[in-house]
Amino acid sequence: MSEDLAGARDAELMLELRGVSHSYHARRANFERGLHRVLDDVSLRIHRGETLGILGRNGAGKTTLLRLLAGVLAPRAGTVWRRPGASCSLLTLGLGFQPHLSGRDNALLSAMLQGATRRQAQACLDEIREFSELGPSFEEPVATYSAGMRSRLGFSTAIMTQVDILLIDEILSVGDAAFRKKARRLMVERLTGEQTVVLVSHQESQVAALCDTAAWIDAGRIRAHGAVDDVLGAYDT
Amino acid sequence: MTLRHYFTLVDTMARMSLKADAARFFFGYLWWILEPLLYVAVFYVVFEVILGSRRGDFLVFLMCGKLTFIWLSKSVNQASRSIVASKGLIGKIDVPKSLFPMATIQEGLYKQASVFLLLFVVLWWQGYGVSASWAWLLPVVVVNYLVIVGLSLFGAFLVCVAFDFSMLISLGMIFLLFTSGIFWDVRDLPDPAMTETVLAVNPVAFIIDAYRQVLMEGTAPDPVHLGLLGAGAAALVAAGLLLLRRASRFLALKAITA
Repeated sequence: MSEDLAGARDAELMLELRGVSHSYHARRANFERGLHRVLDDVSLRIHRGETLGILGRNGAGKTTLLRLLAGVLAPRAGTVWRRPGASCSLLTLGLGFQPHLSGRDNALLSAMLQGATRRQAQACLDEIREFSELGPSFEEPVATYSAGMRSRLGFSTAIMTQVDILLIDEILSVGDAAFRKKARRLMVERLTGEQTVVLVSHQESQVAALCDTAAWIDAGRIRAHGAVDDVLGAYDT
Repeated sequence: MTLRHYFTLVDTMARMSLKADAARFFFGYLWWILEPLLYVAVFYVVFEVILGSRRGDFLVFLMCGKLTFIWLSKSVNQASRSIVASKGLIGKIDVPKSLFPMATIQEGLYKQASVFLLLFVVLWWQGYGVSASWAWLLPVVVVNYLVIVGLSLFGAFLVCVAFDFSMLISLGMIFLLFTSGIFWDVRDLPDPAMTETVLAVNPVAFIIDAYRQVLMEGTAPDPVHLGLLGAGAAALVAAGLLLLRRASRFLALKAITA
Protein backbone atom coordinates (compact mmCIF):
# COMPACT_ATOMS: atom_id res chain seq x y z
CA MET A 1 0.00 0.00 0.00
CA SER A 2 1.44 3.40 -0.94
CA GLU A 3 1.96 6.01 1.72
CA ASP A 4 -0.68 8.24 0.12
CA LEU A 5 -3.28 5.56 0.40
CA ALA A 6 -2.34 4.86 3.96
CA GLY A 7 -2.67 8.57 4.67
CA ALA A 8 -6.10 8.72 3.05
CA ARG A 9 -7.22 5.75 5.09
CA ASP A 10 -5.94 7.37 8.23
CA ALA A 11 -8.11 10.38 7.55
CA GLU A 12 -11.11 8.11 7.54
CA LEU A 13 -10.68 6.49 10.86
CA MET A 14 -14.10 5.14 11.87
CA LEU A 15 -13.49 3.57 15.24
CA GLU A 16 -10.73 3.66 17.76
CA LEU A 17 -10.17 1.95 21.08
CA ARG A 18 -7.41 3.40 23.25
CA GLY A 19 -6.22 1.45 26.28
CA VAL A 20 -9.67 0.01 26.90
CA SER A 21 -10.29 -2.20 29.90
CA HIS A 22 -13.62 -3.58 30.99
CA SER A 23 -14.90 -5.75 33.77
CA TYR A 24 -18.25 -7.00 34.97
CA HIS A 25 -19.50 -7.41 38.46
CA ALA A 26 -20.46 -11.02 38.13
CA ARG A 27 -23.31 -12.12 40.34
CA ARG A 28 -22.66 -15.55 41.74
CA ALA A 29 -25.41 -15.95 44.31
CA ASN A 30 -27.49 -13.70 46.49
CA PHE A 31 -25.40 -10.92 48.02
CA GLU A 32 -22.22 -12.43 46.60
CA ARG A 33 -20.38 -10.65 43.84
CA GLY A 34 -17.09 -11.04 42.05
CA LEU A 35 -15.19 -8.94 39.55
CA HIS A 36 -14.79 -10.54 36.16
CA ARG A 37 -12.18 -8.84 33.98
CA VAL A 38 -13.19 -9.08 30.33
CA LEU A 39 -10.86 -6.74 28.45
CA ASP A 40 -7.45 -5.55 29.54
CA ASP A 41 -5.75 -2.54 27.91
CA VAL A 42 -7.00 -3.12 24.37
CA SER A 43 -6.16 -0.65 21.57
CA LEU A 44 -7.51 -0.93 18.01
CA ARG A 45 -8.06 1.35 15.01
CA ILE A 46 -10.61 0.58 12.33
CA HIS A 47 -10.84 2.55 9.08
CA ARG A 48 -13.59 3.12 6.56
CA GLY A 49 -14.02 0.17 4.24
CA GLU A 50 -11.96 -2.12 6.45
CA THR A 51 -13.19 -5.55 7.41
CA LEU A 52 -11.67 -6.63 10.68
CA GLY A 53 -12.06 -10.19 11.87
CA ILE A 54 -11.93 -10.86 15.60
CA LEU A 55 -10.83 -14.33 16.60
CA GLY A 56 -10.88 -15.82 20.03
CA ARG A 57 -12.30 -18.57 22.18
CA ASN A 58 -15.60 -18.42 24.04
CA GLY A 59 -15.41 -15.92 26.87
CA ALA A 60 -12.36 -14.15 25.43
CA GLY A 61 -14.21 -10.82 25.50
CA LYS A 62 -15.29 -10.60 21.85
CA THR A 63 -18.94 -9.72 22.47
CA THR A 64 -17.99 -7.12 25.07
CA LEU A 65 -15.57 -5.62 22.58
CA LEU A 66 -18.36 -5.27 20.02
CA ARG A 67 -20.67 -3.68 22.59
CA LEU A 68 -17.98 -1.16 23.47
CA LEU A 69 -17.46 -0.40 19.77
CA ALA A 70 -21.22 0.05 19.30
CA GLY A 71 -21.31 2.52 22.19
CA VAL A 72 -23.77 0.35 24.06
CA LEU A 73 -21.43 0.07 27.03
CA ALA A 74 -18.87 2.49 28.41
CA PRO A 75 -15.42 1.08 29.21
CA ARG A 76 -14.26 1.14 32.82
CA ALA A 77 -10.92 2.52 31.65
CA GLY A 78 -9.63 3.93 28.36
CA THR A 79 -11.59 5.61 25.56
CA VAL A 80 -13.75 4.50 22.65
CA TRP A 81 -13.99 6.92 19.74
CA ARG A 82 -16.49 6.59 16.93
CA ARG A 83 -16.64 8.91 13.91
CA PRO A 84 -19.32 11.46 14.77
CA GLY A 85 -22.52 10.84 12.87
CA ALA A 86 -21.54 7.33 11.81
CA SER A 87 -24.44 4.91 12.23
CA CYS A 88 -23.57 1.60 13.75
CA SER A 89 -25.38 -1.66 14.12
CA LEU A 90 -24.54 -4.66 16.23
CA LEU A 91 -25.82 -8.02 15.09
CA THR A 92 -26.00 -10.67 17.73
CA LEU A 93 -27.80 -13.95 17.92
CA GLY A 94 -31.00 -14.25 19.85
CA LEU A 95 -30.87 -10.70 21.08
CA GLY A 96 -31.89 -7.41 19.64
CA PHE A 97 -35.56 -7.96 19.07
CA GLN A 98 -38.76 -7.17 20.88
CA PRO A 99 -40.17 -10.71 20.94
CA HIS A 100 -43.85 -9.73 20.97
CA LEU A 101 -43.51 -7.59 17.82
CA SER A 102 -43.64 -8.94 14.30
CA GLY A 103 -40.56 -9.27 12.10
CA ARG A 104 -41.78 -6.29 10.09
CA ASP A 105 -42.19 -4.08 13.15
CA ASN A 106 -38.83 -5.15 14.54
CA ALA A 107 -37.14 -4.32 11.25
CA LEU A 108 -38.87 -0.93 11.17
CA LEU A 109 -37.91 -0.24 14.77
CA SER A 110 -34.27 -1.28 14.25
CA ALA A 111 -33.94 0.98 11.23
CA MET A 112 -35.55 3.89 13.07
CA LEU A 113 -33.37 3.40 16.14
CA GLN A 114 -30.36 3.56 13.86
CA GLY A 115 -31.50 7.00 12.78
CA ALA A 116 -33.70 6.37 9.73
CA THR A 117 -36.91 8.35 9.51
CA ARG A 118 -40.17 6.43 9.51
CA ARG A 119 -40.52 6.88 5.78
CA GLN A 120 -36.93 5.79 5.02
CA ALA A 121 -37.37 2.78 7.28
CA GLN A 122 -40.63 1.80 5.62
CA ALA A 123 -38.99 2.07 2.22
CA CYS A 124 -36.53 -0.73 3.05
CA LEU A 125 -39.11 -3.13 4.49
CA ASP A 126 -39.92 -4.91 1.24
CA GLU A 127 -36.24 -5.48 0.53
CA ILE A 128 -35.70 -6.79 4.04
CA ARG A 129 -38.67 -9.12 3.72
CA GLU A 130 -37.41 -10.43 0.43
CA PHE A 131 -33.77 -10.84 1.39
CA SER A 132 -34.60 -12.50 4.71
CA GLU A 133 -36.75 -15.12 2.91
CA LEU A 134 -39.11 -15.07 5.88
CA GLY A 135 -42.25 -15.03 3.73
CA PRO A 136 -45.49 -14.87 5.74
CA SER A 137 -43.51 -15.24 8.99
CA PHE A 138 -42.36 -11.65 8.48
CA GLU A 139 -45.76 -10.58 9.83
CA GLU A 140 -45.62 -12.91 12.85
CA PRO A 141 -44.12 -12.21 16.29
CA VAL A 142 -40.37 -12.77 16.49
CA ALA A 143 -40.99 -14.91 19.59
CA THR A 144 -42.18 -17.64 17.22
CA TYR A 145 -38.96 -17.55 15.14
CA SER A 146 -36.19 -20.12 15.16
CA ALA A 147 -32.62 -18.98 15.80
CA GLY A 148 -31.91 -19.16 12.07
CA MET A 149 -34.93 -17.00 11.22
CA ARG A 150 -33.93 -14.42 13.82
CA SER A 151 -30.43 -14.19 12.46
CA ARG A 152 -31.75 -13.86 8.90
CA LEU A 153 -34.01 -11.02 9.98
CA GLY A 154 -31.21 -9.30 11.88
CA PHE A 155 -28.71 -9.62 9.07
CA SER A 156 -31.18 -8.49 6.41
CA THR A 157 -32.28 -5.48 8.45
CA ALA A 158 -28.74 -4.31 9.08
CA ILE A 159 -27.52 -4.87 5.55
CA MET A 160 -30.55 -3.25 3.90
CA THR A 161 -30.64 -0.18 6.12
CA GLN A 162 -27.07 0.65 5.07
CA VAL A 163 -25.40 1.48 8.34
CA ASP A 164 -21.87 2.90 8.22
CA ILE A 165 -20.38 0.42 10.65
CA LEU A 166 -21.57 -3.15 10.88
CA LEU A 167 -20.56 -5.18 13.92
CA ILE A 168 -21.30 -8.84 13.47
CA ASP A 169 -21.24 -11.33 16.29
CA GLU A 170 -21.14 -14.92 15.01
CA ILE A 171 -24.32 -14.31 13.07
CA LEU A 172 -23.03 -15.68 9.78
CA SER A 173 -22.53 -19.11 11.19
CA VAL A 174 -26.24 -19.86 11.47
CA GLY A 175 -29.13 -20.09 9.08
CA ASP A 176 -29.26 -22.66 6.34
CA ALA A 177 -26.44 -23.11 3.85
CA ALA A 178 -28.25 -21.31 1.02
CA PHE A 179 -28.84 -18.20 3.11
CA ARG A 180 -25.29 -18.26 4.42
CA LYS A 181 -24.02 -18.31 0.88
CA LYS A 182 -26.25 -15.44 -0.16
CA ALA A 183 -25.31 -13.39 2.92
CA ARG A 184 -21.66 -14.04 2.28
CA ARG A 185 -21.95 -12.98 -1.34
CA LEU A 186 -23.61 -9.73 -0.31
CA MET A 187 -21.00 -9.20 2.38
CA VAL A 188 -18.19 -9.62 -0.14
CA GLU A 189 -19.97 -7.11 -2.38
CA ARG A 190 -20.20 -4.62 0.45
CA LEU A 191 -16.72 -5.27 1.71
CA THR A 192 -15.17 -3.96 -1.44
CA GLY A 193 -17.13 -0.75 -0.95
CA GLU A 194 -17.42 1.76 1.86
CA GLN A 195 -18.87 -0.58 4.44
CA THR A 196 -16.83 -0.87 7.62
CA VAL A 197 -17.22 -4.24 9.27
CA VAL A 198 -16.03 -5.87 12.45
CA LEU A 199 -16.74 -9.57 12.34
CA VAL A 200 -16.49 -11.91 15.28
CA SER A 201 -16.15 -15.53 14.32
CA HIS A 202 -15.09 -18.93 15.52
CA GLN A 203 -14.52 -20.01 11.96
CA GLU A 204 -11.05 -19.23 10.72
CA SER A 205 -12.10 -19.95 7.14
CA GLN A 206 -14.76 -17.26 7.35
CA VAL A 207 -12.30 -14.69 8.62
CA ALA A 208 -9.81 -15.72 5.95
CA ALA A 209 -12.41 -15.34 3.20
CA LEU A 210 -14.05 -12.09 4.27
CA CYS A 211 -11.59 -9.98 6.22
CA ASP A 212 -8.57 -7.92 5.28
CA THR A 213 -7.28 -7.55 8.82
CA ALA A 214 -7.70 -9.65 11.91
CA ALA A 215 -7.18 -9.49 15.65
CA TRP A 216 -6.84 -12.37 18.05
CA ILE A 217 -8.15 -11.82 21.54
CA ASP A 218 -7.22 -14.12 24.35
CA ALA A 219 -8.06 -13.65 28.02
CA GLY A 220 -9.01 -10.02 27.41
CA ARG A 221 -5.80 -9.00 25.65
CA ILE A 222 -4.89 -8.66 22.00
CA ARG A 223 -2.41 -11.39 21.19
CA ALA A 224 -2.00 -10.56 17.51
CA HIS A 225 -3.31 -7.86 15.17
CA GLY A 226 -2.55 -7.23 11.52
CA ALA A 227 -2.88 -8.94 8.14
CA VAL A 228 -5.25 -11.91 8.20
CA ASP A 229 -2.67 -14.53 7.24
CA ASP A 230 -0.23 -13.48 9.96
CA VAL A 231 -2.91 -13.47 12.66
CA LEU A 232 -4.37 -16.78 11.54
CA GLY A 233 -0.88 -18.25 11.56
CA ALA A 234 -0.35 -17.10 15.13
CA TYR A 235 -3.85 -18.24 16.16
CA ASP A 236 -3.27 -21.74 14.83
CA THR A 237 -0.07 -22.39 16.70
CA MET B 1 -31.28 12.08 18.04
CA THR B 2 -33.53 15.03 17.27
CA LEU B 3 -36.54 15.72 19.46
CA ARG B 4 -38.82 15.04 16.54
CA HIS B 5 -37.22 11.68 15.84
CA TYR B 6 -37.45 10.86 19.55
CA PHE B 7 -41.19 11.50 19.66
CA THR B 8 -41.80 9.66 16.39
CA LEU B 9 -40.00 6.67 17.91
CA VAL B 10 -42.02 6.87 21.13
CA ASP B 11 -45.22 6.99 19.13
CA THR B 12 -44.17 4.18 16.77
CA MET B 13 -43.10 1.91 19.62
CA ALA B 14 -46.36 2.55 21.46
CA ARG B 15 -48.50 1.79 18.42
CA MET B 16 -46.54 -1.38 17.61
CA SER B 17 -46.96 -2.61 21.14
CA LEU B 18 -50.70 -1.87 21.14
CA LYS B 19 -51.10 -3.75 17.89
CA ALA B 20 -49.09 -6.74 19.11
CA ASP B 21 -51.02 -6.73 22.38
CA ALA B 22 -54.38 -6.68 20.63
CA ALA B 23 -53.34 -9.57 18.40
CA ARG B 24 -52.56 -11.67 21.45
CA PHE B 25 -56.08 -11.57 22.88
CA PHE B 26 -59.27 -12.97 21.43
CA PHE B 27 -61.13 -9.77 22.37
CA GLY B 28 -58.26 -7.62 21.07
CA TYR B 29 -58.82 -3.89 21.45
CA LEU B 30 -62.00 -4.50 23.46
CA TRP B 31 -59.76 -5.15 26.45
CA TRP B 32 -58.90 -1.46 26.59
CA ILE B 33 -62.43 -0.90 27.94
CA LEU B 34 -63.13 -4.35 29.30
CA GLU B 35 -60.25 -4.51 31.75
CA PRO B 36 -60.98 -1.20 33.53
CA LEU B 37 -64.68 -2.07 33.59
CA LEU B 38 -63.95 -5.40 35.24
CA TYR B 39 -61.87 -3.62 37.88
CA VAL B 40 -64.77 -1.28 38.54
CA ALA B 41 -67.13 -4.26 38.71
CA VAL B 42 -64.95 -5.98 41.32
CA PHE B 43 -64.86 -2.88 43.50
CA TYR B 44 -68.55 -2.28 42.99
CA VAL B 45 -69.44 -5.77 44.17
CA VAL B 46 -67.28 -5.42 47.29
CA PHE B 47 -68.07 -1.88 48.36
CA GLU B 48 -71.64 -1.42 47.12
CA VAL B 49 -73.22 -4.87 47.04
CA ILE B 50 -71.47 -6.51 50.01
CA LEU B 51 -70.45 -3.63 52.27
CA GLY B 52 -73.18 -1.22 51.12
CA SER B 53 -71.92 2.30 50.57
CA ARG B 54 -74.14 5.14 51.73
CA ARG B 55 -73.77 7.10 48.52
CA GLY B 56 -76.46 7.12 45.87
CA ASP B 57 -73.90 8.00 43.24
CA PHE B 58 -71.38 5.33 44.19
CA LEU B 59 -70.95 3.91 40.68
CA VAL B 60 -69.95 7.25 39.16
CA PHE B 61 -67.91 8.13 42.24
CA LEU B 62 -66.02 4.84 41.98
CA MET B 63 -65.49 5.13 38.24
CA CYS B 64 -64.03 8.65 38.53
CA GLY B 65 -61.52 7.32 41.05
CA LYS B 66 -60.76 3.85 39.76
CA LEU B 67 -60.57 4.56 36.04
CA THR B 68 -58.11 7.40 36.54
CA PHE B 69 -56.08 5.50 39.12
CA ILE B 70 -55.61 2.45 36.85
CA TRP B 71 -54.04 4.76 34.28
CA LEU B 72 -51.40 5.75 36.82
CA SER B 73 -50.82 2.37 38.44
CA LYS B 74 -50.59 0.36 35.22
CA SER B 75 -48.39 2.91 33.50
CA VAL B 76 -45.96 3.22 36.40
CA ASN B 77 -45.80 -0.55 36.96
CA GLN B 78 -45.18 -1.37 33.31
CA ALA B 79 -42.93 1.59 32.50
CA SER B 80 -40.75 0.75 35.50
CA ARG B 81 -39.94 -2.63 33.98
CA SER B 82 -39.66 -1.37 30.43
CA ILE B 83 -35.89 -0.81 30.29
CA VAL B 84 -35.10 -4.26 31.68
CA ALA B 85 -37.73 -5.79 29.39
CA SER B 86 -35.99 -4.28 26.35
CA LYS B 87 -32.54 -5.56 27.18
CA GLY B 88 -32.31 -7.27 23.79
CA LEU B 89 -32.47 -3.95 21.99
CA ILE B 90 -30.41 -2.17 24.61
CA GLY B 91 -27.57 -4.68 24.16
CA LYS B 92 -27.53 -3.89 20.46
CA ILE B 93 -27.96 -0.17 19.96
CA ASP B 94 -27.00 2.83 22.06
CA VAL B 95 -30.37 4.56 22.40
CA PRO B 96 -31.79 7.01 24.95
CA LYS B 97 -33.09 4.77 27.72
CA SER B 98 -36.04 7.07 28.42
CA LEU B 99 -37.52 5.88 25.11
CA PHE B 100 -38.72 2.68 26.74
CA PRO B 101 -40.68 4.09 29.69
CA MET B 102 -41.98 6.91 27.48
CA ALA B 103 -43.26 4.45 24.88
CA THR B 104 -44.99 2.41 27.59
CA ILE B 105 -46.59 5.57 28.97
CA GLN B 106 -47.69 6.60 25.47
CA GLU B 107 -49.30 3.20 25.06
CA GLY B 108 -51.21 3.77 28.31
CA LEU B 109 -52.20 7.25 27.15
CA TYR B 110 -53.82 5.89 23.98
CA LYS B 111 -55.75 3.33 26.01
CA GLN B 112 -56.74 5.93 28.58
CA ALA B 113 -58.26 8.13 25.87
CA SER B 114 -60.88 5.46 25.24
CA VAL B 115 -61.37 4.96 28.99
CA PHE B 116 -62.05 8.68 29.45
CA LEU B 117 -64.57 8.46 26.64
CA LEU B 118 -66.28 5.61 28.46
CA LEU B 119 -66.30 7.66 31.67
CA PHE B 120 -67.93 10.60 29.89
CA VAL B 121 -70.61 8.34 28.44
CA VAL B 122 -71.40 6.96 31.90
CA LEU B 123 -71.50 10.48 33.36
CA TRP B 124 -73.89 11.58 30.64
CA TRP B 125 -76.02 8.48 31.10
CA GLN B 126 -76.21 9.17 34.85
CA GLY B 127 -77.41 12.70 34.19
CA TYR B 128 -74.23 14.71 34.80
CA GLY B 129 -74.11 17.58 32.33
CA VAL B 130 -71.09 19.22 30.79
CA SER B 131 -70.38 22.48 32.61
CA ALA B 132 -67.84 25.27 32.22
CA SER B 133 -65.79 23.68 34.99
CA TRP B 134 -64.97 20.82 32.62
CA ALA B 135 -62.33 23.14 31.16
CA TRP B 136 -60.37 22.26 34.32
CA LEU B 137 -60.16 18.71 33.07
CA LEU B 138 -57.30 19.59 30.76
CA PRO B 139 -54.88 20.90 33.44
CA VAL B 140 -55.86 18.04 35.76
CA VAL B 141 -55.10 15.47 33.04
CA VAL B 142 -51.79 17.20 32.23
CA VAL B 143 -50.70 17.17 35.89
CA ASN B 144 -51.79 13.54 36.19
CA TYR B 145 -49.70 12.71 33.10
CA LEU B 146 -46.64 14.52 34.48
CA VAL B 147 -46.94 12.62 37.77
CA ILE B 148 -47.08 9.35 35.81
CA VAL B 149 -44.01 10.26 33.74
CA GLY B 150 -42.00 11.45 36.74
CA LEU B 151 -42.71 8.32 38.79
CA SER B 152 -42.12 6.03 35.80
CA LEU B 153 -38.72 7.47 34.89
CA PHE B 154 -37.40 7.05 38.42
CA GLY B 155 -39.10 3.66 38.69
CA ALA B 156 -37.44 2.51 35.46
CA PHE B 157 -34.05 3.63 36.76
CA LEU B 158 -34.46 1.85 40.08
CA VAL B 159 -35.74 -1.41 38.58
CA CYS B 160 -32.77 -1.39 36.22
CA VAL B 161 -30.34 -0.91 39.11
CA ALA B 162 -31.95 -3.71 41.11
CA PHE B 163 -34.92 -5.72 39.90
CA ASP B 164 -36.06 -5.96 43.53
CA PHE B 165 -37.50 -2.47 43.18
CA SER B 166 -40.23 -3.78 40.88
CA MET B 167 -41.67 -5.58 43.92
CA LEU B 168 -41.62 -2.39 45.96
CA ILE B 169 -43.19 -0.38 43.15
CA SER B 170 -46.09 -2.85 42.75
CA LEU B 171 -46.59 -2.75 46.48
CA GLY B 172 -46.43 1.04 46.44
CA MET B 173 -49.22 1.11 43.86
CA ILE B 174 -51.40 -1.09 46.07
CA PHE B 175 -50.65 1.23 48.98
CA LEU B 176 -51.75 4.19 46.84
CA LEU B 177 -54.89 2.31 45.80
CA PHE B 178 -55.93 2.09 49.44
CA THR B 179 -54.78 5.53 50.60
CA SER B 180 -55.90 7.75 47.72
CA GLY B 181 -59.64 7.76 48.29
CA ILE B 182 -60.65 5.61 45.36
CA PHE B 183 -63.50 3.71 46.99
CA TRP B 184 -63.87 6.10 49.92
CA ASP B 185 -64.32 9.85 49.90
CA VAL B 186 -61.43 11.86 51.24
CA ARG B 187 -63.90 14.68 52.00
CA ASP B 188 -66.06 12.38 54.13
CA LEU B 189 -63.42 11.61 56.75
CA PRO B 190 -64.61 12.20 60.34
CA ASP B 191 -61.63 14.46 61.04
CA PRO B 192 -61.40 17.43 58.59
CA ALA B 193 -57.76 17.87 59.53
CA MET B 194 -57.11 14.36 58.20
CA THR B 195 -58.78 15.31 54.90
CA GLU B 196 -56.41 18.24 54.62
CA THR B 197 -53.42 16.06 55.46
CA VAL B 198 -54.29 13.33 52.95
CA LEU B 199 -54.84 15.85 50.15
CA ALA B 200 -51.63 17.68 51.00
CA VAL B 201 -49.41 14.64 51.42
CA ASN B 202 -50.73 12.32 48.71
CA PRO B 203 -50.70 13.86 45.23
CA VAL B 204 -52.71 10.94 43.83
CA ALA B 205 -55.51 11.59 46.35
CA PHE B 206 -55.54 15.24 45.30
CA ILE B 207 -55.72 14.38 41.60
CA ILE B 208 -58.55 11.89 42.06
CA ASP B 209 -60.44 14.38 44.20
CA ALA B 210 -59.85 17.02 41.51
CA TYR B 211 -61.42 14.77 38.85
CA ARG B 212 -64.49 14.33 41.06
CA GLN B 213 -64.72 18.04 41.82
CA VAL B 214 -64.69 18.83 38.12
CA LEU B 215 -66.82 16.00 36.76
CA MET B 216 -69.33 15.40 39.56
CA GLU B 217 -69.54 18.65 41.52
CA GLY B 218 -68.91 21.00 38.61
CA THR B 219 -66.40 23.02 40.64
CA ALA B 220 -62.78 23.93 40.05
CA PRO B 221 -60.01 22.16 41.99
CA ASP B 222 -57.70 24.26 44.15
CA PRO B 223 -55.70 26.02 41.42
CA VAL B 224 -52.68 26.81 43.60
CA HIS B 225 -52.40 23.24 44.79
CA LEU B 226 -52.79 21.96 41.23
CA GLY B 227 -50.19 24.43 39.96
CA LEU B 228 -47.67 23.50 42.63
CA LEU B 229 -48.23 19.81 42.02
CA GLY B 230 -47.78 20.36 38.28
CA ALA B 231 -44.54 22.28 38.83
CA GLY B 232 -43.24 19.60 41.20
CA ALA B 233 -44.12 16.83 38.75
CA ALA B 234 -42.50 18.72 35.85
CA ALA B 235 -39.32 19.08 37.92
CA LEU B 236 -39.43 15.34 38.65
CA VAL B 237 -39.77 14.60 34.92
CA ALA B 238 -36.81 16.84 34.08
CA ALA B 239 -34.69 15.23 36.80
CA GLY B 240 -35.71 11.74 35.64
CA LEU B 241 -34.82 12.47 32.01
CA LEU B 242 -31.46 13.88 33.06
CA LEU B 243 -30.77 10.87 35.26
CA LEU B 244 -31.56 8.35 32.50
CA ARG B 245 -29.44 10.33 30.07
CA ARG B 246 -26.45 10.52 32.40
CA ALA B 247 -26.70 6.88 33.42
CA SER B 248 -27.44 5.55 29.92
CA ARG B 249 -24.49 3.16 29.59
CA PHE B 250 -24.55 2.18 33.22
CA LEU B 251 -28.18 1.18 32.73
CA ALA B 252 -27.27 -0.75 29.57
CA LEU B 253 -24.70 -2.71 31.56
CA LYS B 254 -27.25 -3.35 34.32
CA ALA B 255 -29.96 -4.41 31.88
CA ILE B 256 -27.66 -6.74 29.93
CA THR B 257 -26.23 -8.43 33.00
CA ALA B 258 -29.54 -8.57 34.88
